[in-house]
Amino acid sequence: MNGVFYEKFERHAHGEGLKGRTTHYCAGCGHGLAHRYLAQAIEELEIQDRTIAISPVGCSVFLYYYFDVGNSQAAHGRAPAVALGHKMANPKSIVVSYQGDGDLASIGLAEIMQVAQMGVPITVIFVNNAIYGMTGGQMAPTTLHGTRTTTTPDGRDQTTGEPLKMAEIMAGLDGPIYVERVALFDNKQRNRAKKAIKKGLQMQVEGRGFSFIEVVAECPTHLKMNTADTEKWVKENMIPIFHLGVLKDVEKEPWFDRKYPTFSPDRLIESIGGLPEKAPRFCDSFPSHIAEKDIALKFAGAGGDGAQTAALLVTRAAINEGFDSTHIPSYGPESRGGTSYADIHIAEREVLSPASPAPNILVAFNAPSLAKFSSQVQDGGTIIYDSSVISSVPKLKSTVKLVGVPMTLIARELGNAVVKNIVALGALQAATDILPEKTFISAIRIALADKGDLFPLNEQAFKKGKAAAALPR
Amino acid sequence: MGTKKIRPKPILEQEYCKGCERCVIACPKDALHLSSEINPMSGITPVEIEYEICNGCGLCIAACPEPYGLRAGQMESEFQLEDPEKLFGKKQSTAPKAVAIPDEYLDLPESEPLVIKGTYAGAIGALLAGCRHFFGYPITPSTEGTELMAKVLPRLDGAFVQAVSEVAAVNMMYGCGGAGLPCMTFTSSPGVSLMLEGISYMISAQVPGVFVNIMRGGPGLGNIGPEQADLKLVCRGLGHGNTHAIALAPSTPQEMLDLTMKAFHLAFKYRNPVIILGDGYLGQMTGPVKLPRQMVKPGLPEWAVWGDEQHRNNLIASIKLSEIDLEQHNIMLNKKYDLMCQNEQLSATFLCDDAEVLIIACNTPSQMAKGAVQALRKQGVKAGLFRPVTVWPFPIDDFIPRVKRAKKIVVVEASNGQLEDEMRLALSHAGVQNLPVIESIRRFGGVLPQMHEIIERVNTAEEVLS
Repeated sequence: MNGVFYEKFERHAHGEGLKGRTTHYCAGCGHGLAHRYLAQAIEELEIQDRTIAISPVGCSVFLYYYFDVGNSQAAHGRAPAVALGHKMANPKSIVVSYQGDGDLASIGLAEIMQVAQMGVPITVIFVNNAIYGMTGGQMAPTTLHGTRTTTTPDGRDQTTGEPLKMAEIMAGLDGPIYVERVALFDNKQRNRAKKAIKKGLQMQVEGRGFSFIEVVAECPTHLKMNTADTEKWVKENMIPIFHLGVLKDVEKEPWFDRKYPTFSPDRLIESIGGLPEKAPRFCDSFPSHIAEKDIALKFAGAGGDGAQTAALLVTRAAINEGFDSTHIPSYGPESRGGTSYADIHIAEREVLSPASPAPNILVAFNAPSLAKFSSQVQDGGTIIYDSSVISSVPKLKSTVKLVGVPMTLIARELGNAVVKNIVALGALQAATDILPEKTFISAIRIALADKGDLFPLNEQAFKKGKAAAALPR
Repeated sequence: MGTKKIRPKPILEQEYCKGCERCVIACPKDALHLSSEINPMSGITPVEIEYEICNGCGLCIAACPEPYGLRAGQMESEFQLEDPEKLFGKKQSTAPKAVAIPDEYLDLPESEPLVIKGTYAGAIGALLAGCRHFFGYPITPSTEGTELMAKVLPRLDGAFVQAVSEVAAVNMMYGCGGAGLPCMTFTSSPGVSLMLEGISYMISAQVPGVFVNIMRGGPGLGNIGPEQADLKLVCRGLGHGNTHAIALAPSTPQEMLDLTMKAFHLAFKYRNPVIILGDGYLGQMTGPVKLPRQMVKPGLPEWAVWGDEQHRNNLIASIKLSEIDLEQHNIMLNKKYDLMCQNEQLSATFLCDDAEVLIIACNTPSQMAKGAVQALRKQGVKAGLFRPVTVWPFPIDDFIPRVKRAKKIVVVEASNGQLEDEMRLALSHAGVQNLPVIESIRRFGGVLPQMHEIIERVNTAEEVLS
């Protein structure tokens, strides 16, 4: 017998009695034929060792009872996703997603659409018998109008939907290269079905692309007919709706040759942007003149102000000095132009609470930010704000130091308004002496290492900001 | 030409015939017909072949749906029924038994800490653990992890797939994990809800995989602020049926890396999904992250459905039709869960040894709690922090002696008591009686409990007590 079937169906009720050699399918069911043609194709193409069959949910859930290949049994409708997982894991495997009409055309529509559009060489065998078999004769998405099922007891009509033509849908997509609908109701159709299944696999073996074979099949049990009448019914009723033939057959050169992944440490480090170089240190001690062990800062502005970039530079600078530091952003829902706040902590040993509800230092890039956060600044704290865009300053506690610096104006004079956040860092350094100037400059240099021509402008921005904050007012 | 082609005639073991008559309809010579007698072994009326009429055209063979139904054979002598028991070999497949390929550990150079956010740290942890396959769907606040994988994996000849949904993503993981490779996803609370079906399948089919859930505010669409309200889902409701998975709760970007690496190890050790529970705050938080000294080059387990001769006999499935089989399967899973509970409890403590006020917190709130402990100690309050690193299994063994010393427990969480429930359940199962007073600080909706709240709560309660 065909060597692609197990010698004994051990998984079928532990292979007891006749179950060790017979399928669980009802007499006259089309699945058995599709199984035999698939097994034959696997044998003829000599791919038994490479094949992984994905069993669906539905009558063919027990595909793995019979096929002596690698087997994986998927959740309802998800076989194409599971198939893709296998194909991505081992590109040399030959993956067959075998699905029924409820599985593929109802619950699994999203999965089949995505995997088909990806065009990855996978072979889908879609058995369409226009009824739910395993659950007991309910309406399938492919059920014909007029058919009485247990969930359309008066016959399917418009209100329960039109029969879904999956092969046409697949052929209309750009992903699949080969789509054919075949049937099993006579010798000629069976011969075509056999050839189509083999061709579908061949397309995958050659690395050409995704193929989809819809097999219009008989379900004598739920149509409540004998085999001969079911074959006749399929021919006379299903085929006028589900037209047979090749719906798509595109010449495509083999393209799928995914490599196996690399585990080279060098490649990994390179891919994450390299390891940080050891930064020089300029600090003698923790800036405890601001807070004893843990300094909280808040940078606040609108999206595009550069608050997050500047905040990250502070965090990096502090870590370069051997302190612990954290940065946490929060944004408004807008992708552009919304609020953009950054909470930063610098701790001598360990940042305990990364939020800054009561900051020691506030850097405000616009009036709403200043209005919102200025009252939260701790006694003895410092507020640095952009005086070129904030004209009126809210009334503040006398214990808070207020430093206005025309950040936008200075940046514009330097020819690029974008560097106003670096102007702000210079002002921060001058107004608080939180970290030495050299620490900031070094952090900026490292951050711009691969954009070398930008460093002089940023360095200048920092120095101008520093000078502006140092001016007596 | 001239030699006559010998066409083999069909043979049939009638026991395997279901009498569907496909062959009868297919035969152009009317050489087949249903028998007049029921076969005593199958209880079915099988087909009979009239060999005098049969010309060996083979159409009946192509029409037979049974694997061991009609087949081509030489009729050298009159057909004899063979004993099915003799036909059935002991072996179901000729595939050899697969041998596991072990993981390898490769040295990394010593380096300064990276300054990265929690999601990036998780992604880099996965890469270091040997993960080269990512399947996911973008969802805030976990997207940066997904985006880093999208950027890095192609450079390492790995696979990044943006799935059509979280439902598809988890099933791609089922396929890739079933093939024996480490794979992962980044997601956030609503995404986990969608993945639950797949996680249940993975647990039953024993497929490893790592899920990083950067928890956000819920229920429903909620918001993208930090919450911890998926603890119940992850500890008590990982999809339908009898499911459990180890759930790790990091509290810093450094732990995001360390625990994600560990998660892959645990996923393969137990052939089970592992969940990383981070909060939205931690995902976005940037901090120093030191790399380990070694990375993993994964091997291939013997059970993998890999797609070669050695692994041909393997099966990944969760269906057990017979009740007895499914009960046995559950007993096996339960034993595995017991082993996880015995071996994998993990906790961290801060000034806990003499603590009379025991604060319980995990994730970012544990950082606030740590600050509170420090401040309370300065006030002379003997406070300590007990931080579950595994929220499932709850680290009860290390917890019990500390509970016995404590006069009061304060559970701090960004959820509606889900951490407290895990704690109480663990204490109850362990038979701990005479519990100290249990207080709680619970915030929701993206608001995290802050240090001053914890200090105030402890102080107020102290006054009430004294």
